[in-house]
Amino acid sequence: MDPAELTSITTTKTKSFLAGAIAVMPLTIAVIPWGILAGSFALEVGLTPVESQAMSAIIFAGSAQLVALGMIKAGIGIGSILITTLLITSRHLLYAMAMRTHISPLPLKWRLGLGFLLTDELFAIANQTHKGDTPAQHQFDRWYALGGGLTFYFGWNIATLLGIVAGQSIDNLGELGLDFAIAATFIALVVPTVKKPSILVCVLVSLMLAVVCAVFAIQAGLLIAAISGMAAGMLYAKLTNEGSVVATDADSTQATVTVKKEDNA
Amino acid sequence: MTWLIILSMAAVVFVSRHLLLEPKLPIRLSKNTLTFLSYSAPAVLTAILAPIVFVPEGQLAISIHNPYLTCALVATILAYVTRNTLLTTVLSMGLFFILY
Repeated sequence: MDPAELTSITTTKTKSFLAGAIAVMPLTIAVIPWGILAGSFALEVGLTPVESQAMSAIIFAGSAQLVALGMIKAGIGIGSILITTLLITSRHLLYAMAMRTHISPLPLKWRLGLGFLLTDELFAIANQTHKGDTPAQHQFDRWYALGGGLTFYFGWNIATLLGIVAGQSIDNLGELGLDFAIAATFIALVVPTVKKPSILVCVLVSLMLAVVCAVFAIQAGLLIAAISGMAAGMLYAKLTNEGSVVATDADSTQATVTVKKEDNA
Repeated sequence: MTWLIILSMAAVVFVSRHLLLEPKLPIRLSKNTLTFLSYSAPAVLTAILAPIVFVPEGQLAISIHNPYLTCALVATILAYVTRNTLLTTVLSMGLFFILY
């Protein structure tokens, strides 16, 4: 490979990396109050500063971290915490499935790296790049995804650090209402996904049950509300034959990933 | 104990993100499972945000005096109209800190 060609490839990589970093910037800014809350709440629950930072650095999953902290505070056992974590994080199975064709052919270090960085936010920007592309450009860009993923990772960890520092010096940080940042970000992520009546049914059932469970302080409220919402949405879709999905008979209910991919195309 | 929770949570989260990226894994999920999972994001995100908005102090607060609820309604309208994450979060949070 001649030097000029090598330089041009390096430039393309840098450009893609920076484009990814810029694309994820609005979501990184929106996550700052939430990161501050994650850091300060961890201290309030009784974690050391190192443990508090480690949650963001090693787990890197905001909603799972905050829910787990609430459960630790309430004295709930590790088994329930892990089951709840599994449910909260189960949407990543879908993201991974959708990106499988792009990422699984990559070398191991890319799979592990992008797998670790695969958040709601990374999934959102990685999909955006495919929308207006011509077929020739319709190729997954690993450097773009890495730029977006790493930027979001450092943003989340810096915000957590801010929360740890602020939590040690400012009393009652939890009473400043930073938790509204979670609600606002999730509303901004959920509302555009409500494209079908069955998703609206799913959201309304989850909402009502989550509120009822919270009022009665039922610890498994998140599980109950989410699973009931998912079941209600699916049931509504089946009963109304929503969408153009042809009902399959019992023998052919096994669907491979390629089927799912065609649905998305 | 805290480290055990942190490390085992990290394992659960990482496996959920990486498992289906593994090329050696022969994946055959039933179509019903896929359909059920497709509702997970809105259901889980809603189940997390709803108590924050409706039960901010441990008690049901459906009132115009609940800034969480007022600002959540504004955020919902903004998200519906603009479909813009940053605009929705920044404007509704700004309003929240004014009202709170």
